[in-house]
Amino acid sequence: MRKMRGTRPYYVPLGDEEQVFKAAYRQGLSIMLKGPTGCGKTRFVQAMAHDLDRPLITVACHDDLTTADLVGRFLLRGGDTEWVDGPLTRAVREGAICYLDEVVEARQDTTVVLHPLADHRRQLPIERLGVTLEAHPGFCLVVSYNPGYQSILKDLKDSTRQRMVAIEFGFPAPEVEEKIVAHESGIDHDKAVQLVRLGHAIRRLEIAGLREVASTRVLVAAGQLIAEGLSPREAARAAVAGPLTDDSAVTSGLLEMIDVYLTDESR
Amino acid sequence: MSTEQAEGLRRLGLLASALAGRTLEVAAGAPAERAWTDGRIIFLDPDADTDGQLQALAVQASLLAAGSLDLTVIRRLARRPALASRYLAVEGFRALAANENLLPPVVRVLLDGEVAPRTDSAAASLAVALSREALAEPPAVFGAIRARKLLASKDRDRKSRSASEHVARRQPDRGLAELDDDNAVDGADVWSSPVGGRGGLGRLLQQMLGVVRRLGESGPPGADAPTHLRRFSPRHGGSAVVSKPMVAASGGIVGEAGGTTYPEWDVYRRGYRPNWCTVHEVSPPTGDVSPALWSSRNLLRPLARLGLGLDRYRRQAQGDDIDIDAAVEERVELLARSAPDEAVYLDNLRRRRDVAVLLLLDVSGSAAEPGASGQTVHAQQRAAAAALTSALHDLGDRVALYAFHSQGRAAVHLIPVKRFDDDLDAAAMRRLGGLVPGAYSRLGAAIRHGAAVLENRAGTPRRLLVVISDGLAYDHGYERSYGAADARRALAEARYRGIGCLCLTVGAGTNVDDLRRVFGSAAHATIPRPEQLSRVIGPLLRSALGSAELRRRVA
Repeated sequence: MRKMRGTRPYYVPLGDEEQVFKAAYRQGLSIMLKGPTGCGKTRFVQAMAHDLDRPLITVACHDDLTTADLVGRFLLRGGDTEWVDGPLTRAVREGAICYLDEVVEARQDTTVVLHPLADHRRQLPIERLGVTLEAHPGFCLVVSYNPGYQSILKDLKDSTRQRMVAIEFGFPAPEVEEKIVAHESGIDHDKAVQLVRLGHAIRRLEIAGLREVASTRVLVAAGQLIAEGLSPREAARAAVAGPLTDDSAVTSGLLEMIDVYLTDESR
Repeated sequence: MSTEQAEGLRRLGLLASALAGRTLEVAAGAPAERAWTDGRIIFLDPDADTDGQLQALAVQASLLAAGSLDLTVIRRLARRPALASRYLAVEGFRALAANENLLPPVVRVLLDGEVAPRTDSAAASLAVALSREALAEPPAVFGAIRARKLLASKDRDRKSRSASEHVARRQPDRGLAELDDDNAVDGADVWSSPVGGRGGLGRLLQQMLGVVRRLGESGPPGADAPTHLRRFSPRHGGSAVVSKPMVAASGGIVGEAGGTTYPEWDVYRRGYRPNWCTVHEVSPPTGDVSPALWSSRNLLRPLARLGLGLDRYRRQAQGDDIDIDAAVEERVELLARSAPDEAVYLDNLRRRRDVAVLLLLDVSGSAAEPGASGQTVHAQQRAAAAALTSALHDLGDRVALYAFHSQGRAAVHLIPVKRFDDDLDAAAMRRLGGLVPGAYSRLGAAIRHGAAVLENRAGTPRRLLVVISDGLAYDHGYERSYGAADARRALAEARYRGIGCLCLTVGAGTNVDDLRRVFGSAAHATIPRPEQLSRVIGPLLRSALGSAELRRRVA
């Protein structure tokens, strides 16, 4: 009765992360994905959900995410109350992979609800209903977090971390990233090489005013603009320099780098 | 050379930093001179064509990245320009090849047609250079290695680094570390006075009087700020600490010359001298370098907790739970056939941050003295100010940074490094880097001006004044005890007007009694090094805010 499986989302493994994920999944362990923004964590989970043939329920965590947002709540319908499952409860019942993106963003009192679910008990107590759900065998909890600047403000509790298997992500090596950028955006290899080189140069910068570096996602976006007919420089200005910073001094430096690294031969 | 050219070269700084893997700047060298670097700045020939400049820049940055200019090698090259040139001819290609993945196309042509680099380390290149083998001159774009300049600059770096790595013999106060926690409010508070705000007695008073801060659920910022004195308030007892009436004009009077005049407290006559000091806001000199940025990240955590409690909000359109009262009313209204209010949920919401912080940085001559750890007090205070400003800015608080010094009562200068509405960008950091300590410090006038700016520009109900000073208040006609009394008075005035005050002494050797004389009952802390700021800042700010809160409520 499950719907037809589509094509596997494009993901190039960087190491043994696929084996680790599948082993952890089969053993019912919870998984923590660590890595910078835009390096492919979400895509990885999509590919894994496809390989394991489980539905994927993604929750983007934010500052005000409460337990009720995950577990569910009572709503009023006319004169009656009605219980509505939250995404986590749905995943526990259906045996889906529940992916909590940027879990550190959620409040700490919220992440505590994950504890009985993440360890050997695999249970979800629902306080308001007075029931405890046993997780479906196919259920798997996956959280991602970026050990960059967010975790300075809020860190995952040690007790939460201990219940997880960690998989570390980084940006791929140049050859791999060239392949990814070329595949995802459909531009030719030479242009992808130039973009990736620019990306790698920007990643070496550690300066004030540049919060995040040029991620693979950003480079793919630039590639997509190029595929639409923009010149490489125009594309990089819009997709790389603009999103990274608002600081005018840094922006002018980035524009300079873009002009140096990318050639506009076709125009 | 035109300023456009200089600006164009400066913009290359980012590229140079990326290639070298560390922060570098690019500047114009002498015309027709070969490119060179001192390890922090790459000097390029301003008259060379763009490609030539880029190539020269890439070579110099790659040399730095590949470790070609490390101390052990450079020492051997000092005073031997011929050897340096032979070394560059070999090592330049190695450094470029090592950085190959990062080189932009215009630089890669340097490597084209060239056979693989003949050496694999700087030491091997040096050995080749020392041999008798005939070597071609390095290409002109390779520039030159100036060993002595590099050595001088590395020397400077090492000195400042060893100063900052200096390990204090005594472990920092354990109590502080423990206080940096959620329950800090309940813990002992060692900074504030026992009567004001968060002190023991203050807390008791607070409990007895039931002063609980509650921000309205809606309304513009500042809507909950008191607009007038409530003389008959039963809570008035809390302000009994302040015994003298405050001068009404403490907001400052704008004089005809553009300056703002403030009164000054004369401790000997026990009265104010009206319109005594004139404060001018002078535009800051722009420096060339941003101060070495010490990471403000570890400050974010203690600061982020500030004033972000959860509150339960009733009658929300959506929420975790059903608000029974609202739900019952809704049913009643529905049955009575009137329009029901459908906001029947309870929600836990984080209060919006509503804190504005103004930092006053003392740039008087005494700050130029070397501090306890070798660096000047100024450098350390500046690092602390930069870290605090950027941390608060990143957290979304309104923050301003003013530096101050004075030359007599008619010339108290406040230098806006970052006003409340300025962006915290590279230009602001350069303004901070351009500050040079000098003259004296008329602390009281600076505090009064800071408080006035906070009142007029902050736009938030909760306001904090942070004074970063070595505590040596001294000026013409403003000797120690007089100055200390005035500064203390100015801080008390600010607190009375609901502004939390906090004094930080970073790296200075001023003794605690002197500091207490100047800062009075305001929260203050002395830290030997700016890096230790993160341990004390959370409880300090909370205590300062708390005392102002109480004062604001009773005022």
